[in-house]
Parts: sequence; C-alpha cells; structure tokens
Amino acid sequence: MQGIAQDIPLEHFVVVSSILFSIGVYGVLARRNAVLILMSMELMLNAVSINMVAFAVYTAPSLFVGIIFAIFVITIAAAEVGLALAIVLRVFRNRGTANVDEVDTLRW
Amino acid sequence: MADAWVLPALPVAGFVLLLLFSPWLPRKGDWLAILLMGTSFGLVFPIANDVADSIGRGGFHGVEVSREWFNVQGYIEIRMGTFVDQITLVMLFVVTFVALLVMIYSTGYMHGERRYGWFYAIVSLFVASMLTLVLADNLLLLYFSWELVGLCSMLLIGYYNDKQSAAEAAKKAFVTTRVGDVGLLIGIIILFTQTHTFNIQEILRTAEEGGIRREWLTAAAVCMLSGAVGKSAQFPLHVWLPDAMEGPTPVSALIHAATMVVAGVYLVARMLPLFEVVRGMPELITALGLTTTMLAAFIGLAQRDIKRVVAYSTLNSLGLMFVALGSGAVGAAMLYLFTHAFFKALLFLACGSVIHATEEQEVDKLGGLWSKMPITAPMFIIGALAMAGLIPLSGYWAKDEILVGVRHGGLSDVVIITVLISLPITALYMIRVVLLTFFGPAKDAHVHEHAHESEPPMSWPLVLLGALAVVSGFVVFEGVGKALGFHSGWLGFIYNPAEGPETYRVNWGLAVSSVALVVAGLVAGLWVWGGEAEPSKRAGAFSPLVYRLFLNRFYVDEAYQLAIDYVVLAAGRVIAVFDRAIVNDTGVNGTGETTWFLGWIGKYQQTGRIPNYALAIVVGVVVIAAVAFGYRA
Repeated sequence: MQGIAQDIPLEHFVVVSSILFSIGVYGVLARRNAVLILMSMELMLNAVSINMVAFAVYTAPSLFVGIIFAIFVITIAAAEVGLALAIVLRVFRNRGTANVDEVDTLRW
Repeated sequence: MADAWVLPALPVAGFVLLLLFSPWLPRKGDWLAILLMGTSFGLVFPIANDVADSIGRGGFHGVEVSREWFNVQGYIEIRMGTFVDQITLVMLFVVTFVALLVMIYSTGYMHGERRYGWFYAIVSLFVASMLTLVLADNLLLLYFSWELVGLCSMLLIGYYNDKQSAAEAAKKAFVTTRVGDVGLLIGIIILFTQTHTFNIQEILRTAEEGGIRREWLTAAAVCMLSGAVGKSAQFPLHVWLPDAMEGPTPVSALIHAATMVVAGVYLVARMLPLFEVVRGMPELITALGLTTTMLAAFIGLAQRDIKRVVAYSTLNSLGLMFVALGSGAVGAAMLYLFTHAFFKALLFLACGSVIHATEEQEVDKLGGLWSKMPITAPMFIIGALAMAGLIPLSGYWAKDEILVGVRHGGLSDVVIITVLISLPITALYMIRVVLLTFFGPAKDAHVHEHAHESEPPMSWPLVLLGALAVVSGFVVFEGVGKALGFHSGWLGFIYNPAEGPETYRVNWGLAVSSVALVVAGLVAGLWVWGGEAEPSKRAGAFSPLVYRLFLNRFYVDEAYQLAIDYVVLAAGRVIAVFDRAIVNDTGVNGTGETTWFLGWIGKYQQTGRIPNYALAIVVGVVVIAAVAFGYRA
C-alpha cells in the first residue's frame, strides 16, 4: 500500500472516480433501457467506492472506515440490483418492454 | 343540627334505589320513597327543637357545619356544609311536609301511570335537591341544587312526554329559568372574585361592612335577582309557570306552588342584607313583585282552565312575597311563603282531585260538583278563601303582615295602594273559579254524571292541608308560638336582622280595609257568577277588549314571540350570513379550495417518467452542492 501511495497521487483516484461517476450519471439520464440504467447506477456506486478506499488509504491508513464502507456499498448494490432486476423482469413480462419511457402509468 | 345533611341524603337514597330497582319492587317502590320522605320529615322536628332551644338561650344567628370540599393549594379552600337558621327551618318543614303529602296523594292520582316508579324517583331527587338548596351554606352548592331542582322541574313538567304541549312546556320552563340562572351564576362569580369565598354568611358580612366595591355589588345583586326572578316566575320571566301546568297536578302542587318557585323568594330572603345595601334594589324588587301581582290577578280573571287560574294565583302570591322582601319584611314574606305552601298545595291537590274525577279541567265544562265531591269541594273553597285572604284563614294573617311590612318599609304609598287594589281582584277570580266549578248548573252532563269523590289517599291529604290552611296563620300570635315550643310569635322568630324581632300588633286601618276589600271582591264575584251564570262569557260582556287582553295574558308570550322573530332571528340571520360567507366559504371551504388548486398545479410534476425524476435528483444534488460551496466560500 505504501508503494502505491508514493507512486500515484491521490488526485488521480479522485479524477478516475469523477469520470466514472459522470459516465454513470450520463447513463442514468440518457439511457431508456431499464437494465442499462441499472448498470449506470452501478458505475456511480463503484465511483463512490473508489473514492472511499482511496481517501481511506491516503488520509487515515490505520483506520479501515472507508474500506468497510466500500464493502457495505458492494453488499447493498448487490441486493439492490437483485431487487431492481426482479422488478424489471416483472415489468417486461407484464408489458413486453423494458423501456422506461413507456412505463409511466404512475402519473397525473 | 349538625346532622342536617341526613335530610337530603334520605331522598337521594330513595332516588337511587327507585331508579335502579323500581321495576322489581312491589308497587314500583312508591312505599320506599314515601317511607324515606316521612323519615326526612320526622327528622325536621329535632332540628326545630334545637333551633327553638338556641333562640331561647339568646343570640342565635344560625348554625353552620362544614367540611373541606376541595382545595387549590395556596390559593383557595372551598368548604361545603349546612347552615341552619330560622328561614332554613321553615323551608325544611314546608318542603318535607308538602312533599310527603304529595307523595301519598300521588299513590291515588298517578295510579297505573306508565312511568310510576320513575315519577317517584324524580320527585325524591327533587326533594333532595330542594333540601340541599335551603341547607347549603355556600353559593356553589346552592347553585348546583338550584340547577338540579330546575332539571327535576323540567323532567316532571314533561312527564307526559308523548304529549307535544307537555314537551314544549318543559322546554319553555327550562329555557326561561335558564335565562335567570345564567344571571345567578354570573352574580356568584362576581361575589367570589370580590370576596374570595362562596360562603354565604361571610359574603353577607363583607357586603354589610362595605368590603365589596359598589359597582360590583350592584352588578352581583342585579344578576342574582335575575336568578330569583326566573325561578320564582316574576315578571318578565313569569311566562313559564302557567305552561308548567302541563305536568301532573301533584307536581304542580309540590314544585310549582309550594317549594321550587319559592326558591327565588328564599334566595332573596337569604341574601337580603346584600340586596339592601345596594341603592335602588329594594325598589326594583318591589316593582317586579307588584307588576307580577297585578298582571297575574287580571289574567286570572279570564282564564278558563281551572289549573291555570290556580297557577296565576301562584304568580299573584309570589309577587306579594317579593313586594314584602322589597320592603325588608322578611318575616312577613316567610309567613306568606309558609301559609301559601299549605293553601296553594291544597288548591292544586283539590284541582287534581277534580281533574281525576272528571278528566276535565275547563271550567266551561265543569259545574255543580258540590254534591258530587263532598270532601274536595269544601277543601277547595277553604283554599280559595285563604288565597283571597278572608279573615281568619291563614292567608289573611300573612297578607296582613305584608301590608304592615310595606307600610313600615318606607316605600311610596303607591305600593300599598296597588297591593290593596290587587286584593279584591284576587278574591274575584278565586270565587269565580269556585262558583264555575262547584256550583251552578252542570255544563256537561256526561262529565257531571261520571264525577265522583276521590279515594282516601287523595282525600285525606286534602283534609290535612285544609286544616293547616285554616290554622297555620295563627302562628303570628305570641301564645301560639309559645305553645308550639318557640319563645315568641312568628315575627319574633323570623325578622330582618337590621330591624330585630317584633311582636304582632294590629294595624286597624289596614286590617279593616283589607277585609272590606276582600269581602267586596267576594260579593261582586257572587253577584256576577252566582246563580245561573253563563261562564266566562258574562265576564267578557263588560268589556270585550279588556277581556281579550286578560284572556291572552296581556300578550306577553306573543311579545316574546315577536321579539324572538324580529330581534333574535334577525340577528341570527346577520350572523348566519357571516357564518356562511366568512367562516364557511372563506375559512373552511377556502382552505380546501386553495389546497385543491395548489395540488392541481403541482400535479404536473408527477410525469411518471423515470428520467425526469432522475434529472430532478441530479439537478437537486448540484444545486445543494452549489449552495453548500457558496456558503463555504
């Protein structure tokens, strides 16, 4: 760990995670396929995880708070994706589409 | 005297037991109520004995027994208890005695009625409340029982609750007396804020020592007087009493003649030291009493319902008691109350006997009952003559004392002249109702044929009351008072504390003129309605206009109706507009409509499209972040 910290500055991790997060946001906003939206959300979560681990290693190497949070994020993401995919599956079965623009019954 | 609380406790027990168990008791439990009432009546005598002894030893100003009721730490302690003095004693005797006789009488009169047990329960509750009212040593307890007697009165007026007129009369009585009662409550609150006590004796002491600011004292006195005026059916709140005759006749005898309606007289007599320190108050009381007396006397002349005539004679009597109180003649007022209880209860119960026998109460359909009712007829006549004030019946002595009291009261001569004018009129309408009911031709053959004397439980209370109606006036004499165990006659027993005890003495001028006027009234009545008199019509022939005025009770009820229609309802309509426009349309509906409109606008943000929501979240995060950084920078 100490080696990485000396070779690559913290800013690089932050930049990578920012790019990743932005790609995720773009995906969520621009995509119409529910599965792709879910994948974009995963990208955002991963960007956050990278941030947490990087800051944990660089600023407080003796504490594992950030790393533990990353593990939590991964766990919750897994559960969330399981649930969301099940919903998408049901929507597809019932309405024959996974396009979120066509699923808008819950409106005025 | 310490155990005076037992007196109301016994009828309360009767009320509870009858209310719970009367359907399963033999005879619906009337014997239980009568037994408890009789015990209560019996217990008055030891108290009377104690009072007589204490007066004999001198310096008796009433005995107060009280215990803590409730207590607001560091602010006020309210005590509750009994206060027994001469006035209380008279009331206790009258209430328990008349109640006992009425209960016995009712076993005959109310026999076979649908709610027989309930009737006895409510009469028991009434007696308990009335006894509490006269025993109460503080105004709060007095007010509670004051309202309770009003409630019982309403329940009993509306006893025949399947009859529309009875239900309406009950409502009228309750609402009319309530107008006065609100005044009484306000008066009590004013006195409490000024003296920090509810105790009657302490309040009277403070008032006499000038410890209450003049304007507050005046306000309190006027308010309390309005309570008394409502309860005792004085002008202008007298309209409920004649309608109260819708109730069973024993109830009219007990509540609307002998006891409850004199609660107002009792209240004024009890608080008289307070009323007397307020300037103009005695004059006001006298004026109200005089108006009531004259009004009732004239109306009584024209009424066709035998019970209503007696009801108006009650108004007449109550007016006289107020006149006496206005002159400070407490002894005379209480003597009239005492004798009135007997002869008026007698009149009502005799009325009831007639109604029971004939099932008819219009004098136009009665007549010639003298031979058919050998007990009721003479008893009614005794009551009527006592009411008219013929010497030597009880009514004469009481009325004579009132005249003397008014003479000494120092009020204008108009008062005494007006009272004297009312005497022949009273005699006139009393002899009229006697002649039309018991003499002359039978106007309805069917009614006359079926008439019969009432059974013993109804007739012997009549005889007992008749005897008392004759002799009870003699208590004014020293000798009679001493023979009864008191140290003096009535006026040495009950007197205005400001003036001290008195002895009976004849005022020949007043006595002769009152007797002459009464006899003149009776003779005139005999001349008009005697013989082959055609009822009411002949009276009307003198002056149809005046007759209609009397018959329609001076249109007071109609005036109230007009006032309600054009003042109360008009004000109601204005308030209704305010309610509709401001409260309802703007306040209540306006809130709803505004919410609905905002929702109508706001609903368009709910597109149902996930990308919209996602965009909103992102924009929101960016804005929050920008704001947060903005603050930091």
